[in-house]
Amino acid sequence: MGPDATLIWAGSLFAIAIAIGTAFRFFSGRGRRDKTSECIDLSKLKVGKNGVLVTEFGKKTTLVQFSTQYCGQCPGVRRSLSQLEYRHGALLYIDVDITNRLDLAAHFSISQTPTVFILDGLGEIKFRIGGVPKYAIIRAELEKLGAL
Amino acid sequence: MTELKRIDPRGPRFGAAITSVFAIIAFGFSLDTWVYAWLIMWVLFALFALSVFGKNITHPYSYLFQKFVRPRLSAPAELEDSRPPHFAQQVGLSFAVFGVISGFFWPLGVTIAAAFIFLAAFLNAFFGLCLGCQMYLGLRRIGLLRQ
Repeated sequence: MGPDATLIWAGSLFAIAIAIGTAFRFFSGRGRRDKTSECIDLSKLKVGKNGVLVTEFGKKTTLVQFSTQYCGQCPGVRRSLSQLEYRHGALLYIDVDITNRLDLAAHFSISQTPTVFILDGLGEIKFRIGGVPKYAIIRAELEKLGAL
Repeated sequence: MTELKRIDPRGPRFGAAITSVFAIIAFGFSLDTWVYAWLIMWVLFALFALSVFGKNITHPYSYLFQKFVRPRLSAPAELEDSRPPHFAQQVGLSFAVFGVISGFFWPLGVTIAAAFIFLAAFLNAFFGLCLGCQMYLGLRRIGLLRQ
């Protein structure tokens, strides 16, 4: 193969990389409405917060984040959602480490982290977001639930 | 659990940028004079292996970053857990091993490995997207990875 063809191939690979990156930027973190209308069972989730087992949902809404230890972007999402919880009283935020709890990942069909579920006051899954959530989308969903 | 190492998140991305340059050059050569591509693949293999196994050895990337890049940047907004980038290096190493081995009898394998390493490193460096970390849960769930 001559140098021209080589450049064309390398250029195409470069273009593919940029296309994937741009598509990812655009689509990731938008989320979708959850149609299963499943209620989360906190006694099965067994998640602690500040050393205490969580047994009640937030008054208006609960944000459930699923993380793993190998997830580079989870700590950032954890910080921003904690901030949100700090500002709004009717909102509970919990973070579930599923590195060793693949049963949970299978049950909720989670294939990437972070994944964030937005629950209503009764613990029903209303919305799910894979990837780093876009802030405006979280806000809009929380407003619908009357949590902001 | 051992003490967590926290690192400047821009370090791994700087390294990924260099890796992506190596990888796309290797990809280009692999279509032409592929022996050069194979040589670059050995270099990438050595670099990945060093960051996966060389616990107390200063990696050339981190030397460059600390010596020339870090002093020109402002303080990091936040430090990051070192496990996700470390996992990403392991994924990179497995691609480099594939490329190095297939170079003995199947030159196309070198092209494939170079393409994947380029994609992963480029997306990590310029879009902040860590493919290996994204796939971690999926790989665990279909049983390709263990703890």
